[in-house]
Amino acid sequence: MHETSIVRRLIAMVADQADRSGEGRVSVVRVEVGALSGVEPMLVQLAYDQLVPGSRLDGSRLEMELVPLRARCENCGVFEVPQFRFACPKCSHPKTVVVSGEEFRLVSFDQVSDVVTMPGEVQK
Amino acid sequence: MTDENRNAPRVKTVRVDRDVNAAPRERAAELRQEWTRRGTLVINVLSSPGAGKTSLLEATARHWQGRHTMQVLVGDLETDRDAQRLAPWAPSVQLTTGGACHLALPLVEQGLRELPDEECEFLFIENVGNLVCPASHDLGEHLRVLLLSTTEGDDKPGKYPKAFRTSQMLVISKTDLLPYVPFSVEAACADARLIQPGLECVAVCARTGDGVADWCEALVRRRGQMLAEGAADAARP
Repeated sequence: MHETSIVRRLIAMVADQADRSGEGRVSVVRVEVGALSGVEPMLVQLAYDQLVPGSRLDGSRLEMELVPLRARCENCGVFEVPQFRFACPKCSHPKTVVVSGEEFRLVSFDQVSDVVTMPGEVQK
Repeated sequence: MTDENRNAPRVKTVRVDRDVNAAPRERAAELRQEWTRRGTLVINVLSSPGAGKTSLLEATARHWQGRHTMQVLVGDLETDRDAQRLAPWAPSVQLTTGGACHLALPLVEQGLRELPDEECEFLFIENVGNLVCPASHDLGEHLRVLLLSTTEGDDKPGKYPKAFRTSQMLVISKTDLLPYVPFSVEAACADARLIQPGLECVAVCARTGDGVADWCEALVRRRGQMLAEGAADAARP
């Protein structure tokens, strides 16, 4: 299971960006997981739940969007790859190019500032 | 402003849009460029445990003795048995992952520092025996070779799509056992090519030496291509 080391990298990436953008805690982390990303969503979630407590991302939630594997055939256009069979299902052309489904991408995260306003202060 | 939202937390969304594996991939690309410049073809060898990676590398070194230079980084969870086996034939460094299921770049770079700094045409990285996790890690190789032994079954390619999809060459090993096992070289190659259409397939037996010359020739040809592409890249303004 290599998800642990990859999720550790994800957490470090978010922590680094969060530090640069302020002090607020991170509430939600959004990732895209491709069908051929090489990571298993269930194991990613498990690793996240184990690694997050006590880290910069403590208390945050992981939102995963699964990205189907799609390839482009130069004759027929984009198709969803069935069962990892990459030849074009329409014209059987063997050489197709993957356009999505190989990514494990950090899309965005939410950062929360618990604002305490002093009496009389105008908040923007 | 009402009191109600005065103390409400403010939420901002920070967009990142970067692949989690982008940094190691960029480092791997740098290493690959460096190897191309030095004229060393780097080959990442993947297989399940016991498919015969070390035996194939021993046979390769024997075949090339005195004609081509090679070095080996060999990964395992524990022991330096494989490096000891290879040491009489080629400079070899054992990488022990201490339980990790694949080789990652930092360990490979540490191993590279331990190899002798001498001319080397071929650098083999023998990965940990595993067809799952190593598939996701670019180690800066030019060529990823997947070794599948005849005792494992010819239906394996479809079961491990990522490993086959990311390889450029399939080596069927232990062909001396073909009379005794229900394995079709053609079926295995055909199944693998559904996943990776351009896959080059070679059948070898490291024990008898059958097919070893073909495998070695394929590597020499690949190195020639790498050198030509490197020279073309260097000539570009």
